[in-house]
Amino acid sequence: MPSTWWTRNRRYFMYVVRELTALPLAVWLLWLLIEIKRAGDGPAGYRPHGSTAFVVFSVVALLFALYHSVTFLSLAGVIIHLKVLDKPVPPRAIVLTMFGLWLLASVVIGAVLIGFAR
Amino acid sequence: MADKRITIQATRFDPEKDEKPHLQSYDIPFADESMVVLDALNHIKSYVDGSLSYRWSCRMGICGSCGMMVNGVPKLTCSAFLRDYWPHRIVVQPLNNFPIIRDLVIDMEDFMHKLKSVKPWIIRQQEIPLGAGAHRQLPAQIDEFRQFSECINCMLCYSACPVYGLNDKFLGPAAIALARRYNLDSRDQGLKQRLPVIAEAEGVWECSFVGECSVVCPKGVDPAKAIQQSKLDTTLRFTLPYGNRD
Repeated sequence: MPSTWWTRNRRYFMYVVRELTALPLAVWLLWLLIEIKRAGDGPAGYRPHGSTAFVVFSVVALLFALYHSVTFLSLAGVIIHLKVLDKPVPPRAIVLTMFGLWLLASVVIGAVLIGFAR
Repeated sequence: MADKRITIQATRFDPEKDEKPHLQSYDIPFADESMVVLDALNHIKSYVDGSLSYRWSCRMGICGSCGMMVNGVPKLTCSAFLRDYWPHRIVVQPLNNFPIIRDLVIDMEDFMHKLKSVKPWIIRQQEIPLGAGAHRQLPAQIDEFRQFSECINCMLCYSACPVYGLNDKFLGPAAIALARRYNLDSRDQGLKQRLPVIAEAEGVWECSFVGECSVVCPKGVDPAKAIQQSKLDTTLRFTLPYGNRD
């Protein structure tokens, strides 16, 4: 198998992109841990890292996170095989539920973070 | 129409003479709009070069014998129409990810071994006597597994799967789809015999959901779906207190 197999067609390429999106997310989360450690010394000595490069990297990481999440949740309809009242739940309903739960979780986490910041 | 021609480039490989496979060109008449790539190969075999080797049987997308790479895409050559490629040349190669025996013929031993390992037949703990009559199934029970039973073992999915290409120990799409087909069958009681094969690391867990297996399947089977559903099922069986049921 040649190392360029992922260039053979668009679907292979998008698969590799999907898998690679995890890499900047992991780096960003490691950075977040470092920031939390720095903030642990107290608010007086803490200055958040705000260089342009970091902001750009954070935006890229956010876009990758969204792409990874959307592809993952879109596949939920394929993976989850549910029955309610002995009838199979349509894949579309499962996917919509997943996106609804994602939105709800995002709102709750956002509210908690904003609440703490105040 | 009678003058219309098309170029077929087919892989030639004689293990006793050649170090590696190479392409050979054949310019043949494209006499009929209904001609498929298999017809072109049969024309070459009959009138141009009788030494060309390839597998085929039914000519109607049932037997799964004539799978080859057609312009880099795994296809049943009996279903790949020349009109979809003409006037461009068509490159016909053996299925990717398998050793080549000769020309367009691949070694399917690995697949046959894997297929057998998932026991793709109905297993009963207690046979029902013939006198008891037919084992009835409701349409809804048949719908549970019907699409997976369409698999014709053509191996196009293995050829499209980069995971299998990178690690040939992976159980692979068709074998897992057929395991799922029997696990979902209300007449079957063999899940516990198949579980050790499909639930191991190189069973369903090796798959990283490229999804190309489902794209190339000529029968509309969705092996990627079978694999992901099996991942969820096996996880629930191992984690939930009531999960390891028959």
